[in-house]
Amino acid sequence: MSRDWKNLFPSRRMIFLTGGGVVFLGLTARLAELQLFRQQEFETKAREVRIKLEPAPPHRGTIYDRNGRELASSKRNFYVTLRPEVASASRDKLTRQAEIGDVIERIGKLLRLSDAKKRSLLQDATTPPAHRDVLVADDLTWEEFAQVNVMAPELNGISAEVGELRSYPLQAAFYHTIGYVQKANEADISRMVDAELAAAGETLDSPEGKKRAVAVRRLYKHPAMRVGKQGIEAYGEMALKGEPGNERLLQNATGRVIDRLPSEDLAGKPGADVVLSIDADIQAFAIRRFGIEAGSAVMIDIATGEVICMMSTPSPDPNLFVSGIASAPYKALREDERNPLYHKAYDGVYPPGSTFKMVVAAAALESGAMKPEDQVSCPGKAWYYTRFYNCWRPEGHGVVNLHTGLQKSCDCYFYRAAQRTGIEEIAKIAKRFGLGHRYELGITGGKSGVVPNNEWKLTNPRIKEKWYDGDTISAGIGQGYVTATPFELAVMVARIAGGPQMPDPHMIVGGIRVPDNTITPMGEFKPGVLEAVRAGMFAVTSEGGGTAVRSGELDPEGKLPAPYTNARMAGKSGSAQVRVITAAERDSRGRAIPNEKLPWKLRDHALFVAFAPADNPRYAVSVIVEHGGSGSSVAAPIARDLLAEALRIDPGARKAFVPRARDLAAAAATSGKQPT
Amino acid sequence: MMIRKDTLLYKVTQLHWFLLLTIIAMAMFGSLILFSAGSSAHDLETGLLKIDARYAMDHIFRFTIMLGVALFVALLPLRLWAALAYPGYALGIVLLFGVEVAGNIVNGSQRWLTIGPLTLQPSELMKIAVPLAVARYYHQVFSSGRTSLWIHIVALIMVLIPVGFVLKQPDLGTALMILGAGCSVIFFAGISLRIVGGIIVLLIAMAPVVYFFGLHDYQRERIHTMWDPAADPLGAGYQLQQGMIAIGSGGLAGKGFMEGAQKELEYIPEQHTDFIFTIVAEEFGFAGSMVMLAAWAIAIVQGMSIASSSRSSFGALAAASFTTTLLLYVGINIGMVIGLLPVVGIPLPLISYGGTAIVTVMVGFGLLMAVHLNRANDMTLRGLL
Repeated sequence: MSRDWKNLFPSRRMIFLTGGGVVFLGLTARLAELQLFRQQEFETKAREVRIKLEPAPPHRGTIYDRNGRELASSKRNFYVTLRPEVASASRDKLTRQAEIGDVIERIGKLLRLSDAKKRSLLQDATTPPAHRDVLVADDLTWEEFAQVNVMAPELNGISAEVGELRSYPLQAAFYHTIGYVQKANEADISRMVDAELAAAGETLDSPEGKKRAVAVRRLYKHPAMRVGKQGIEAYGEMALKGEPGNERLLQNATGRVIDRLPSEDLAGKPGADVVLSIDADIQAFAIRRFGIEAGSAVMIDIATGEVICMMSTPSPDPNLFVSGIASAPYKALREDERNPLYHKAYDGVYPPGSTFKMVVAAAALESGAMKPEDQVSCPGKAWYYTRFYNCWRPEGHGVVNLHTGLQKSCDCYFYRAAQRTGIEEIAKIAKRFGLGHRYELGITGGKSGVVPNNEWKLTNPRIKEKWYDGDTISAGIGQGYVTATPFELAVMVARIAGGPQMPDPHMIVGGIRVPDNTITPMGEFKPGVLEAVRAGMFAVTSEGGGTAVRSGELDPEGKLPAPYTNARMAGKSGSAQVRVITAAERDSRGRAIPNEKLPWKLRDHALFVAFAPADNPRYAVSVIVEHGGSGSSVAAPIARDLLAEALRIDPGARKAFVPRARDLAAAAATSGKQPT
Repeated sequence: MMIRKDTLLYKVTQLHWFLLLTIIAMAMFGSLILFSAGSSAHDLETGLLKIDARYAMDHIFRFTIMLGVALFVALLPLRLWAALAYPGYALGIVLLFGVEVAGNIVNGSQRWLTIGPLTLQPSELMKIAVPLAVARYYHQVFSSGRTSLWIHIVALIMVLIPVGFVLKQPDLGTALMILGAGCSVIFFAGISLRIVGGIIVLLIAMAPVVYFFGLHDYQRERIHTMWDPAADPLGAGYQLQQGMIAIGSGGLAGKGFMEGAQKELEYIPEQHTDFIFTIVAEEFGFAGSMVMLAAWAIAIVQGMSIASSSRSSFGALAAASFTTTLLLYVGINIGMVIGLLPVVGIPLPLISYGGTAIVTVMVGFGLLMAVHLNRANDMTLRGLL
């Protein structure tokens, strides 16, 4: 009886539609209640009391030198923040600007902020979103902090906070190696988001990855949080920064934090402490010793491969950067012709000059192209292929062999040695000596010098030419295409002195691991090769006619304990031209214009590489004095003094400092114990 | 130009274009809202415009596919769907049984069944299969001319078996939807109103018993939360309370597209799925909410008019039942978001992000349009299974 349902359907439809109407009416009524009649209430609530979880920046790991001296530590920081949405709740842009401007004006008077600072603050505070804290000033004195605290209730949105701030107690000494921290900018934040996601093996596509990205962003936006900008601070950021915790904040309806609730259960993990192999005393000594000269010094412990000193000078105080450096002083630093911002020891690529002669000597002996006793006569210049190549001494050196060639740094001898050995063998030995490699030390930056050969020249995009025979002659005295960083030169001399057993160089001995698997091993040499080179270097400083014979003595008064008593150093000078000497610049006897008569910027770089003690090498050093002139008269005395200081302190005799583990769980357990 | 009546093209011209356009408009509005869910005019972290169109693009993509499926369903003969009603129902029961035996447990309930590369949620299929089977059953019964209360009792049993399975998963929301869709067929098939009234009275009387003995703890908590969301602001009531703050602070005209503040703070979990209405209400205000409700009212009235135009009882009952399903979706979803109903996992069709609900709803719309195309056919039993 299909008639039945057909007849009934209209009434059933009516019931259904009535029911539906009731449902929709109910929804409408409720929406009207929420959105029309209770809008005010919810609008307040939207900004109201909540227990808010704010990320709490973790304690940043301390960086120590090998003796446990703090190089980068955290000090207590009083700072002041402004929350724009509390300073002005107005939706009108002009009113907001006026109200926030008023607060900034008043806090500015209290803290004596500059007009420029106040302007940039206002700019920052009026840019949405308004529900975040803007840093007004940090590193305040206790008096300033107390004053702000007293005034804060009258200053809407201002709150006085206590946190930690990075400080570098030794100031300029470690600017280039340790670097500095600063407020994170957008680029830093995205870099850290990427790094954190990569470390956790997540991507932005997954919900966990997204959550992590938001957490990282929030952390770095925290007014008290800083990010490593360069050096170890940047390289080791992930380990140094620790794991952020959270803090429970109770906010009232206006967004002001009214209370901090107990948050121990949410505490983060402090960052890892990092220990360097560098000895801060020797580093500081090196900086003093350079005085006003610009340059760098690198010292390596031959027995352990630890970097004992790595400095570039002049150097700015990293503390200047932590709270943001003003543009004028920064500009001055950037435009200083002595390049204080430049990490000369690690990033500076110089022609090694005569310090490269050890490579050529070793290559000639190792390949059999020369025997130690083979003689070359030096009339002051030598003809190869198409032109004359000058010796640095126009009068010539007479007849020289490998030993005297190194001792007197005779160019003619090394022209001949290079010609007979060939560039490929020289390049091989240069690599085995540690040149042509960027050493991963756990700091940002770093360059590798050029160890040229035919293939390099053909593939170099700026040259793309085959190797000419004449190129080999220039390379023989460390000119032409050959370049090296001071760090590479230090590794070179350490390997010459230490032989194949020398451990790979490294600077971080605790806290973060910095593996470098790409270092070319030195490999065994034929017997007598390294000995002959070392003997030549000893002659430089210690036998009559050596170029640095005045600088050989490290312990003239015999005061050092054994085995360093009366130690001598062995070394090799070098000077690197910063310009091409034209014929017009030579006088009638073929002499170049002496350095002292040139403007500073055009003088040669002075180089010296050395090791000590000469008979039982322990420390190797490379010194470069930019535009210093002659290596033997300017750089050699500095190298001598550094090595003497190293032997006196003998940092390698003691194991590097091991920081106490910050075991939070253990600490909590101990403090919770009741005395009985 | 004349179009011959037996061509597919003619069928296309006869589609219920008004309903179709309503659906498309709503889905487009949905992707706009989903665009806003991922984006922000002033990002919390950067203060800049942040745009994330992934939800919106996904939504448009899924909708486009499912629109094709809906048209396919609409253009095939209704007889075919009537013929498939029983086998579909049987398959659904088998799959539900399979879930019970070998289903995957996700978020504490066992809803999913993995067969080779496919992951199925059979309970979702039953939202369509149950009312179709019951409608088919009545179609047959009415043709044979029998009538008695037993007929309705058999129909009720057909509904209660799958509902029982789904309740056991447990998935209260879906169980209610299947129950509603199935019972609506019985209601439109003409069960005596006295019996309906009796059952309603009985249910109300039993409500306390069910509340105290028949519900899981978390379900009780949700009901309790609805009355007093502030009781546990960090727990169960959190989502609800934050959602209501978002809706309430929207006011009459709303805060504007992509200007919603609550979403930035990520205070509202599941905001792009079940709680999508909070964005509509916060950004477009009371006015926007009303437009949204009006659109749904239009769709529902259209559905009902399609049902009454059908000459076959199968078509009429299936259409009426799917229209009821729509009303349940909208009523339950918005009702729970604005704190009138306890929180159950029911999305807002065509607006919420997610793949399963849109399949059900679009297949349903397809059937609705199939009923409309075949409204003149009274579908005698000949040729049916």
